[in-house]
Amino acid sequence: MAERVYITGVGMITAIGDDVAGNLQQLHAQKSGLGYTRYIDTVYKNVLPVGEVKHSNQSLFELAGVPIQEGLTRTTLLGLVAMREALQQAGIGDLNAVPTGFINASTVGGMCDTEKVYFDITDPEKDGSFLKFIDTLDCADCTQRIADIVGFGEHIATISTACSSSANALMFGARMIKQGLYDRMVCGGTEALTRFTLNGFNSLKNVDKQFCRPFDQQRTGLNLGEGAAYLVLESESFAKANNSRILGELSGYCNTNEAFHPTSPSPDGDGALEAMRSAMAMSGITSNDVSYINVHGTATLNNDISEGKALERLFGSQVPLFSSTKPFTGHTLAAAGAIEAIYSLLAIRQGLIFPNLNFSEQMEELQISPVTTLMENVTVNHVISNSFGFGGNNASLVISKYEG
Amino acid sequence: MKGKCYIQGMAAISPQPTFEENLFSAQLLYTDNNLLPCKEPDYKPFIPANSLRRMSRMLKIGLTTALKAITDSNLTVQGPIVTGTGKGSLQDTEKFLKEIVTYQETALNPTPFIQSTYNSVNGLIALQQKCTAYNNTFVHRGFSFENALLDSMMLLQEGSDHVLTGAFEEITAEHFYIKSRIGFWKSEQIDSRELLLHNTPGSVAGEGAAFFMLTQEPTDQSYAAINGLKLLYKPSAEKVLSTLQAFAPEVDAVITGRNGDCRFNHFYNIVEQHFDNIPHIPFKHLCGEYDTASAFGMWLGANLLKHQELPEAWFAKDQHPSKPINKILLYNHFYGEQHAFILLERV
Repeated sequence: MAERVYITGVGMITAIGDDVAGNLQQLHAQKSGLGYTRYIDTVYKNVLPVGEVKHSNQSLFELAGVPIQEGLTRTTLLGLVAMREALQQAGIGDLNAVPTGFINASTVGGMCDTEKVYFDITDPEKDGSFLKFIDTLDCADCTQRIADIVGFGEHIATISTACSSSANALMFGARMIKQGLYDRMVCGGTEALTRFTLNGFNSLKNVDKQFCRPFDQQRTGLNLGEGAAYLVLESESFAKANNSRILGELSGYCNTNEAFHPTSPSPDGDGALEAMRSAMAMSGITSNDVSYINVHGTATLNNDISEGKALERLFGSQVPLFSSTKPFTGHTLAAAGAIEAIYSLLAIRQGLIFPNLNFSEQMEELQISPVTTLMENVTVNHVISNSFGFGGNNASLVISKYEG
Repeated sequence: MKGKCYIQGMAAISPQPTFEENLFSAQLLYTDNNLLPCKEPDYKPFIPANSLRRMSRMLKIGLTTALKAITDSNLTVQGPIVTGTGKGSLQDTEKFLKEIVTYQETALNPTPFIQSTYNSVNGLIALQQKCTAYNNTFVHRGFSFENALLDSMMLLQEGSDHVLTGAFEEITAEHFYIKSRIGFWKSEQIDSRELLLHNTPGSVAGEGAAFFMLTQEPTDQSYAAINGLKLLYKPSAEKVLSTLQAFAPEVDAVITGRNGDCRFNHFYNIVEQHFDNIPHIPFKHLCGEYDTASAFGMWLGANLLKHQELPEAWFAKDQHPSKPINKILLYNHFYGEQHAFILLERV
């Protein structure tokens, strides 16, 4: 019998807060973190809103507890801040006391910093300390820097499946635990805003000039965001023997590919439907057991139709309460799955359903609409968290209340 | 990772003529400018012309290798697709970076951005095969292919019948220059055939793709079994030796990622000294050094196990095994950081 997988520590940083408590406070206050960038050098500075973490790199060094140095990118720093909180919350002092793996997720690695020096790096006439950023060009760099600074020495990996990256990191870690390879894994993702990504999504005409409006008839696209989040996962037997504080259970998950289009989901939501259905089956729950769905809800034209259709097909006339928290944080790409897994856990532990901000007009293609004001004192037992990405990479997680 | 799986089909595009018939009489292709580029095949039999025009080089190499591995296995892809790549499509990343500057962030063509996404090859294979199963991409230097392999072995243990597992990497002139600035390549220009004779810092750059159809059960056609995988992150020399002692049983040959870089040769020395009476088969003079070169090493090992021979021109006479090879240890590390041991067995 495979082990159950429990969540025993969480840490995060986003546009709405430097830690989990800060995020909860802003969710509770229904205050968005969207605004205009202070740190990316782009012609869209005052045009396209983003969910930027409210710290310069200098200030992030301090938050992350490391001396200012070349070679540590914003991606790494955001990750470090979230990682330190997750480990502290899980009561992990010495990482090597128990073999612990680390599965990270990233879409463009240290691009946030390398794009600023890239043309110096490729210019033979130029020399300087910017060469220290050469290593940060790939996705493994942030993972290894974080691992080396906090002391991971066991299994490490980095996953990149676009917007579902950190959901897949959580899944991979959970599976390694179920296979008996490790009793404890720390999984999640980190993402910093870049001019590269902003222009990428903008070239696809997927970015809204207003604050994003998921599931609204007038929505015209997403806002990008940045942040990082990590969850400490432990096997049931270890968590109990170790007297870990169990916050919840990762009870189900599914990764599926839609095989429909390189960047767009199918209009009927086949992939989303299959991901949710299989994750629920693994969790052993039925439609009636689902208290809340933290939808992917990017507010692109295609995502919201596709995901909405999938909800209607899966749940019929009984679609559970759902909302997108992207209007709080922006779409944090590789970090989104882990950030929203923590929001799902907060929904369970605090009895809250978070509002889908900026919604005003029902989509004509759908019968359903999201929760628009904060709901308190709700019994939340099982939450589905969706992450769907480029390349047809779909992932759904089920986070459940721990009844121990 | 324990557990056993089988290589039912495979294919490689590499700097050698690995994609053609008559592998064992293949010539040895080489370079004298420290960059071994892929010998690219004619893609037309695999990819329709109208798709081909839109695809960048990495996507063509990755997709074509995957398709040939599928054909070679006589299976259809209904199962998971898992890949590893250290850098993805560098050409697209470079192009988009430049176009942002050239066109001052306006009216950009999204194609290079889309294709630069690390999971684009995986998505393309799934799309092309209409395969909706599990799909994952690992992007961690010398652990990219290895984690894809681990994921695949877990999927087979969890009940998947077969998994398509692969790795792909490209090198561009620009990236070659960038990495030369931090000592990845030899500063003197060498003949790649003599890579291992140059005891100096750095190696020779390479690239390539290798895909494997892995199954739970063997058939008459299986190339080899994979029955062990062990990864070590930034280990000490002692840790490499103790892991070797704990992990590796008796083997008949060691395939090593030895790359001529004097800064990291000591790790290969440990492994070769541990197995001093059996053939040591290096492969980086064939494919060059890159994040996922171990996938080429595994492709070579699986061929050796199945056919009991190596392409004649690729190795000196005394390097060809003279006794039957039933078990192989593949040991590779990427610039001393990510170390991998893979055990292969004859079926």
